[in-house]
Amino acid sequence: MLTGTATYVDDIKMPNMLYAAMVRSPHAAANIRSVDISKAAAHPGVMAVYTGVDIKDVGAIVCGVELPGMRKPHHTVIATDRVYLVGHIVAVVVAKDRYVAADAADLVEVDYDVLDAVGGPEQALAEGAPAVHPQWADNIAFKFEQKGGDTDAAFASADVICKQRMISQRMVANPMETRGCVASWHAADRALTIYTSTQIPHLARTILAGMLGLDENRLRLIAPEVGGGFGCKLNVYPEEAIVSFAAMKLGVPVKWIETRRENFLSTIQGRGHVDYWEIAAKRDGTIVGVKVKIIQDLGAYFQLLTPAIPTLSVLMMPGLYNARNIHAEIVGVFTNCVPTDAVRGAGRPEATYGIERMVDVLAAELKMDPAEIRFKNFVAADQFPFATATGLNYDSGDYANTFTKALDTIGYKKLREEQATARKQGRLVGIGISTYGEICAMGPSPAVAAGGWESATVKVEPSGKVTILTGISPHGQGEETTFAQIAGDELGVPIDDVLVLHGDTSIVQYGIGTFGSRGTAVGGTAVYLALQDIKEKVIRWGSMLLDSNDVRFEGGMCIDNASGKSVSIQTIAAAAYRAMKIPTHSEPGLVATRFWEPGNFTYPFGAHIIHSEIDPKTGQVEIKRYVMVDDIGNILNPMIVDGQLHGGASWGLGQALWEHAIYDDAGQLVTGEFMDYAMARARMMPWIESSHTCTPSPVNPLGVKGVGEAGTIGSTPAMVNSVVDALAPLGVTHVDMPLTPEKLWRIISASQPEAN
Amino acid sequence: MKIAGVAQLAFAPERAYELMQDPAVLSRAIPGCEALERTGDNEYRMKMKMMLASFSGAFEGKVRLVDPQPPTSFRMVVEGSGKIGFMKGDGVLTLTAKDGGTEVSYEGDAQIGGTMAAVGQRLIDTTARMMIKRFFEKLAAEV
Repeated sequence: MLTGTATYVDDIKMPNMLYAAMVRSPHAAANIRSVDISKAAAHPGVMAVYTGVDIKDVGAIVCGVELPGMRKPHHTVIATDRVYLVGHIVAVVVAKDRYVAADAADLVEVDYDVLDAVGGPEQALAEGAPAVHPQWADNIAFKFEQKGGDTDAAFASADVICKQRMISQRMVANPMETRGCVASWHAADRALTIYTSTQIPHLARTILAGMLGLDENRLRLIAPEVGGGFGCKLNVYPEEAIVSFAAMKLGVPVKWIETRRENFLSTIQGRGHVDYWEIAAKRDGTIVGVKVKIIQDLGAYFQLLTPAIPTLSVLMMPGLYNARNIHAEIVGVFTNCVPTDAVRGAGRPEATYGIERMVDVLAAELKMDPAEIRFKNFVAADQFPFATATGLNYDSGDYANTFTKALDTIGYKKLREEQATARKQGRLVGIGISTYGEICAMGPSPAVAAGGWESATVKVEPSGKVTILTGISPHGQGEETTFAQIAGDELGVPIDDVLVLHGDTSIVQYGIGTFGSRGTAVGGTAVYLALQDIKEKVIRWGSMLLDSNDVRFEGGMCIDNASGKSVSIQTIAAAAYRAMKIPTHSEPGLVATRFWEPGNFTYPFGAHIIHSEIDPKTGQVEIKRYVMVDDIGNILNPMIVDGQLHGGASWGLGQALWEHAIYDDAGQLVTGEFMDYAMARARMMPWIESSHTCTPSPVNPLGVKGVGEAGTIGSTPAMVNSVVDALAPLGVTHVDMPLTPEKLWRIISASQPEAN
Repeated sequence: MKIAGVAQLAFAPERAYELMQDPAVLSRAIPGCEALERTGDNEYRMKMKMMLASFSGAFEGKVRLVDPQPPTSFRMVVEGSGKIGFMKGDGVLTLTAKDGGTEVSYEGDAQIGGTMAAVGQRLIDTTARMMIKRFFEKLAAEV
């Protein structure tokens, strides 16, 4: 991206290529009386217009999650008789260029019978709320309950119980590259090629082949360079099927590139929680139980993982604490909004935010220091592997050590003294702590909808150059570098000799993809294991060439331990392909493929501390210092790791301070562009003091845990805790996100009437 | 969105009421109005151009006058849609004699949708107020 040489979907141009534009509903809920395409079809340059009736043989959108008793809407790729959300596709226009397509899309006349809509999760549950799906009387898609220990007894035995309602607002993923695809039909071999901006090339191929009625092996799906995903491209969307359908019908390539406004309306969003938390504790601060009731805004229908996301929140709800008694209830509700799904942290940020806020609420109630109460409740270093009340098995950690490092870095004790002085001067200074944990390296296959393993092929070419085919699909995480490093280390070859390929289902063996901080921890492990197989082969060939049974492989050389004679991996590769003579029990070539199934998730953690001050005249929050200490196991590339953490923090701070995807009561998205949706910009980001501790993960041989989501998960509660701490002298105990200057100014003004 | 306000006209309620039922006057007074024709009793078809934030677009819609109580009040129901979205408005206008002229007070609800809502929400309130202000200014000039 920096050099401008990468090829994204929109850079792909093919002879005779046509362009598609979607006709989308401006209404959140309406019956379709008629769709008149005649004017659009007659528009010069228009090659075809398709409606829901034309495309009815294409399969519905796939959701990979089943929960007991769940209502699953049947969502066709183009609406036929009813629209369920603003942006719902009602027709597609295919034309000779994108401008003609967009103009003609405006000529499609849809007669809507507008219905009452549901614009939010609590509205959905209100008495007399309109039914989002008319076949079901209420808007409850599912209820889910999980218990661990004996919460009733724990709460009965508690000295203090704190309750707090908290909102994790809807957020837009906002990758720099919006979605887009190009489909091309090859009639001679009945095969379709799709270029699409996705995080999951192979899964998308399987799903799209099913929707289109194609044999999977006749669909080649290519994810070229992908300009960010953040979870929103861990999905298969209607447009990918529609564009494929059009290409197959018309016999020429068809392209569609999502506009930014379409992205706001039609690409899955994150969060959408209204949560009711309760925490029970002893007078000394010992947490004895945690309860949460989650109302999850699912949107109008299910994308790939929609219903699963709040279940991840439940798994994460004890955080890093020894909370042995938990009780969680989820009510998943339909609204006339775009579906929520996996976005940056997916379920864990909501839970981490909740538990980290609740620990602060509890500390305030008990008049304890928020650092002290955390130390009191941490899972201890000698308790690992630690079985949580939610059924997880935390792999490794030393929470107190990491937290101590963060406190020392920021000079916590002195900072509290300075805060006390500042408060005497009437200044609003806050110190916010988040000691977060997360669930990464997704994950064991039984826990992941489509399988949680990953694959890798390592090919040492005849010249000794190394090609890695990985089943993950990096889109900014830098595994092209990290995996080359692993190969360089293992095979003793220069990193520049290693090429990492991914994202093309005709080149790469089946894989799962990139999400859930799994790239290096799962995909990298598959690479590592394939490299071990290569090393075994190299030793076999080296032994033959050196005519010795006692050789070692080191620094790219096979060395005869007795004579010290050696032969390079490059020479061995040439011999393996020339195959004049082949070692016993061997075969020509130097290629290995491994599929690796992890035995567990990994559980990175860390401590983020934010020192902030609020300007009482404007409500503006200034971040004075931000210290993060993250333990993500072994670190392979420090620069990539810090880049991931900083990027994640920009999103987490965005949620805490600025970002909010707002639907009005009629289901209209009213924050549909960057003028209304305040995403973090470079100048809004603080200097981040980042460092690490390391407890290697025993789950994989690399000892890595995953870092893609850590910054997002850790930052949000630290920021909110800091602001609430700053406002504590005003009697404030909680403020819902985003903490905009207006919101804070109103709170400050209301509590200091004389100052205004 | 709630809309409410008061405007002053320099002529009597009878005259003000009459002007506000006259398609020719309304088409001159409604900002951006390009055509207004009577389609039935107290029903009009309207074409207008609206500018909002970074975009503009044509609207087609209808205006209905309901519960006419000359010269003291009537209810106006407006519905329009175009490429940039749709709007619906419903409000009651009350005319009272005051200082030799008329005080018009209005109160109602307006709803917008589609692109206009997604990208113009932050300006819709001020735009609506500006349009109403201009409407009454034009009407005042009709003496």
